[in-house]
Amino acid sequence: MFMPGFYDFCCRAKTISGENAIEKIPGHLAGLNANRPLIITDKGVEGAGLIDMVRDAVGDELQIGPVCNNVPVDSDYKVVDEIAGIYSHEACDSIIAVGGGSVIDTAKGVNIVVSLGGGSLLDYQGAGKVRKRLNPLAILPTTTGTGSEMTLVAVIADPDRHVKMLFTSYFLLPDLAVLDPRLTKTLPSFLTAATAMDALCHACEAYYCMEKNPMSDVFALRAIRAISENLLHVVKNPDDTQARLELANASTMAGVAFSNSMVGMVHNIGHTIGALCHVPHGSCMSILLPYGMEYNLHRRAGEIGELLFALGGPEMYAQTRRTDRPEKVIELVRRLNQDLHDATDGRHPRFLKEIYNSRGEQMVPQSMLPEIARNIMADGARVYNPEELLPDDARMVLEHAWEGTALDRRKIKRGGKK
Amino acid sequence: MKSISKSANKTLNISRYPEIRPGTKLIKKGYVFVMLLIVGRAIEAAAKVDESVKKIFADLPDRFTFYLGVAPGGPYMVVGKDRDGNVRYHGWNLHGKKIDLGMKIKNIESAIKVFTFQESTAQAFAYDRFIVEGNLPQALAVVRVIDIVEVHLLPKVIAGLAVKRYPKWSELSPVKKHLNRVRIYLKSFSPGLIKVIYRNL
Repeated sequence: MFMPGFYDFCCRAKTISGENAIEKIPGHLAGLNANRPLIITDKGVEGAGLIDMVRDAVGDELQIGPVCNNVPVDSDYKVVDEIAGIYSHEACDSIIAVGGGSVIDTAKGVNIVVSLGGGSLLDYQGAGKVRKRLNPLAILPTTTGTGSEMTLVAVIADPDRHVKMLFTSYFLLPDLAVLDPRLTKTLPSFLTAATAMDALCHACEAYYCMEKNPMSDVFALRAIRAISENLLHVVKNPDDTQARLELANASTMAGVAFSNSMVGMVHNIGHTIGALCHVPHGSCMSILLPYGMEYNLHRRAGEIGELLFALGGPEMYAQTRRTDRPEKVIELVRRLNQDLHDATDGRHPRFLKEIYNSRGEQMVPQSMLPEIARNIMADGARVYNPEELLPDDARMVLEHAWEGTALDRRKIKRGGKK
Repeated sequence: MKSISKSANKTLNISRYPEIRPGTKLIKKGYVFVMLLIVGRAIEAAAKVDESVKKIFADLPDRFTFYLGVAPGGPYMVVGKDRDGNVRYHGWNLHGKKIDLGMKIKNIESAIKVFTFQESTAQAFAYDRFIVEGNLPQALAVVRVIDIVEVHLLPKVIAGLAVKRYPKWSELSPVKKHLNRVRIYLKSFSPGLIKVIYRNL
């Protein structure tokens, strides 16, 4: 049983989950002395009718402030400052964020500015700047993958300098995470597949990467089991609210796991592809996860093998020899990607060359692979990967992930058994 | 009752707490001080000798300066680029220097684990032993530089404990490695060292 020499773990966001969970928000906000929340969302979520549904669920008991639906695909500090101005002008006392990762990060950024004062989010750049309790924040995730409702991080872009700023503080954790199956009901199947695979990736990397700890392990294994049992079913049966709720819970649990254990090369390479080619994060994660496992296999065979219990179930775990379990896990992840590809009529990509934008253009041309490989060094997730990953290694992985072939294990440079 | 809760509210602001500096553990602090001095000088030398280190510093902003040290109260090493882009070890004194990036190991015991190679830099990051003040990608670049310098300074058996993967022959040929090692040691302990020590006293 692995026990690190040291670890820290923090999970202090209250989670409410279940049918009609949204209706419980007023009571919880009242306990935090708040009753005039500002709603932050994006146009897609509002267009899907989710804001009307939230209004109907809580409207009588809360004096809901303005709805800010101008969050872009990548959170942007100018939007944060603009929304913070509206919050102050409208005398709001709390925030309800309804949306995916970008909306949640924007809400965290707005909460920094409105709680700590100052004219702009730029005043709070860098670690250690947020040192006080912030105003009440409730997060209603509408995807099944980001897990941002459980993380202490907000990533917000500065479009003028073309950089993504990282804000980190335990005070960024929300007061409330609300998981209600109605929130993910309108999510299209291929997005359900991609975001849930992102959550699977959070849980798997949290389990086998360097900051692994026993508490995160529990959350990670439970999340993997829920995704394994429900993802394909939900993609084929989108109206099954109970299975959707399981997936939403899995995403949140995976968020707890990776917020405390960090992630590795799958996110390292995935973030870089996302930054350079603007590929949806979940698609990169689902493609790269089996490659991340293969690359780290010589260092983490035991841990990856243990994932079989959650991923394949106790019978498969018992029937598979201990030495074969890691390979079986990799095989199951690849098979899940293939099943999702089939179930979404090919909209869930299996390889990098299969990712197309809405205009039908290939998003990761093969000519971009060297540049992606060169840029992996700037991402923090690289540090937590068990095996060293340098640009040459990343290039080798990228070439296989682009073509869709398994890694040539002889090409992996092994650093030992640490 | 009111005044008690008011004062409790004041104490909740952690920025008001003074930094408490332990007064003892002089031998451990002395060891880390010497190690930081050696690593700092070696970084300056490696930036002239090793192509990867040269490239990493070239990609960092002009006049970029960082420190690596131990909280609270040091010891520290300060390294930065001068106006011509040359990398310089500026000694152990933070006073009067414009710092772009600060990296502190949380306490002297953790620093000892890192500098006696019981833990690799990456493992120390994973155990949350570092406090980074500044830009994370720049901190990662500095960690990469330190890894390369350790490979040059230390014999394989020790460097293998300090880095995740000791470079393979295809990445760094033994001839080049030993040549670089000699050049880095010679440059690190050149008369320039005395000049730096004098400036910091």
